[in-house]
Amino acid sequence: MKVGLVSPYDYTHAGGVTEHVRHLAHWLRRLGHEVRVFAPSSRRQAEYEIPDFYRIGRVFPIPGNASVARITLSFHLARRVREILDREQFDVLHFHEPLVPGLPLTLLPWAHAPQVGTFHAFARSNIGYHYGRPILRGYVSHLDATIAVSVPARDFIRRYFPQLEPRVVPNGVDVDRFRPGLVPIRHLRDDRVNVLFVGRLEKRKGLGDLIQAYRYLRSRVPRSRLIVAGDGPLRGMVESLCSRYRLEDVVLAGYVPDQVLPRFYGTADIFCSPATGRESFGVVLLEAMASRLPVVVTEIPGYLSVVEPGVDSLTVRPKSPVALGEALTVLARDPLLRARLAEAGYIKAQTYAWPVVAAQVLEVYREAQRVHAARLCPPAQVPA
Amino acid sequence: MIRYRGFRAMQWVVERLPRQWGYAFAIMVGRFAFLFARQARSALEENLQVALPELDRRQLRRVAWRNFRNHAKAYADLMRLPVARVEDLRPLLRVEGTENLERARERHRGVLVISVHMGSWEVAAAIWAATVAPVTLFAEELEPRELYEWYRRTRARLGISVLPLTRAGLRQVLVALEQDEMVITAIDRDITGTGIVVEFFGRPARIPDGPAAIALRKGTPLLPVAVYRLPDDTFHAVGYPPIFAEPTGDRLADVRCVTCQLVERLEQVIRAHPDQWHLPHRIFLPPQSLESPVGSGRFTLRR
Repeated sequence: MKVGLVSPYDYTHAGGVTEHVRHLAHWLRRLGHEVRVFAPSSRRQAEYEIPDFYRIGRVFPIPGNASVARITLSFHLARRVREILDREQFDVLHFHEPLVPGLPLTLLPWAHAPQVGTFHAFARSNIGYHYGRPILRGYVSHLDATIAVSVPARDFIRRYFPQLEPRVVPNGVDVDRFRPGLVPIRHLRDDRVNVLFVGRLEKRKGLGDLIQAYRYLRSRVPRSRLIVAGDGPLRGMVESLCSRYRLEDVVLAGYVPDQVLPRFYGTADIFCSPATGRESFGVVLLEAMASRLPVVVTEIPGYLSVVEPGVDSLTVRPKSPVALGEALTVLARDPLLRARLAEAGYIKAQTYAWPVVAAQVLEVYREAQRVHAARLCPPAQVPA
Repeated sequence: MIRYRGFRAMQWVVERLPRQWGYAFAIMVGRFAFLFARQARSALEENLQVALPELDRRQLRRVAWRNFRNHAKAYADLMRLPVARVEDLRPLLRVEGTENLERARERHRGVLVISVHMGSWEVAAAIWAATVAPVTLFAEELEPRELYEWYRRTRARLGISVLPLTRAGLRQVLVALEQDEMVITAIDRDITGTGIVVEFFGRPARIPDGPAAIALRKGTPLLPVAVYRLPDDTFHAVGYPPIFAEPTGDRLADVRCVTCQLVERLEQVIRAHPDQWHLPHRIFLPPQSLESPVGSGRFTLRR
């Protein structure tokens, strides 16, 4: 099958959707399918460096959903896009976040192939979807099948477009890359209990709560360390919080390359993600669980669709640093509990392995092809 | 603390500048250091004079200045590490002697990469850590402590472990080698004062005997490697044929023999690029010191 994957986000900038697209492309290729990726890129040379990648448009950072979306606003590229689509003749075009302004909206009306849309986002509300409904309804009608990465993401998109019936196909995790027993970063692997956070340093990830929780933990378990892997706009704030509270044991590692990230999980004893909301899923939780780590997370819909509290994780209310600190302290003091949660999480992570997820996506592609064929040639018009 | 704050302020600037501007800024600071850090300069000039006895005073001064200049650029590379991306670094490195590295890795006993304080290791180590095998640096602790912690944090993000020259560090190095990792260490300066005295450029100098001892005890291949900066500010890493140490039964003689082989190889490396041998510390001993056979053997592995 020849598949075109379309992402609205900067393909050379780390992010949840981008990682999903990259892995999906990789696994579809491994299953013998031909895959092209369309996305904007902040690196001009990306088109030459990444095989089967079409760089469409420059990137503009647009604030939204308590984060920054790096999308293209180069609508004038529609002509180039049409030429590529005519040339490539895809069997399926798969749009990620099909209603995000920029590339997906430019491509949707022009594509003649069966079209699949995956909705990744979850938020309290979306002003664009709310006021743009009359226009976006037309775009949505082009989609032959839809996917949501979690139940919260599905409920969120159905709130605005009840006519959609997305199938829930979760994000996958690369269990070959994220596995237990990897070589740790040796100078961080000592007698301390390492708590790991992975993610962009932005408000919705709850970094401030984590720092407060770590203060609580450190006062009770002095031989502990917090490792923060990720960069973002709040780096300065986190640095100043650490120096204000004299938290010398906080390691702000910054942006960690993909090749090295699994070793950070291998260096940790506990994984913690205290997001305050707006997370539709928790890929980092799956990565941690696949690395056989116990996780401490906040009770937000996206995370609760992945973890089972008490079985593979400890959960606390969002924005409650003391409760978070207590949960971390309990885990830091109890290696047996850590091992039990980690084992349950490890078993669960195997069910999210990419080959399993890619097979589910392929099923949706076939369904889209059936729907598309029926749309082009409705049964009533088929001569007897 | 003031030194650390000063370093971080400079690092803040260099990190935000384009690479070439960062170098220009570093060279400016390097020029001040060359003028005012007289102790470091005279130590460097003394080392260079031993390595290159044929140079006259003027030539020596010129090499020393180029050395300071390259050292400043190496610092700029270090300062850019927090924002460096492996994908951006990769085109900057040209590797020669990969077959030697592969030969060393065939044994699956780890590889002890032996070098001197030369060139810029940031790029090579980061790329190796991301693509070849986990990399561990076995190196001296920097002063002040905050700077050392910053250095370790920054290396950690690129997958490089930094272990101190202590017993605990050595234990971890042995574990790393057992797990087939690459451990990089420089042997041109004996920080702990426990090495053996051998001839280095015809003068006695105390050289760490730990690598030779590990190689003899564990069968770990020793791979002499040099990373040079080229005039266009890219890097050339050269892996020389590995040394497979074979014990003969006389441990002290074996250690000395392997260490001498390493020193001989590294002498050639330094002679080829004296302007990149960044060692502004006195390392040579008075001529009569060669008589004292071995050091206290703090890092010597006992059977």
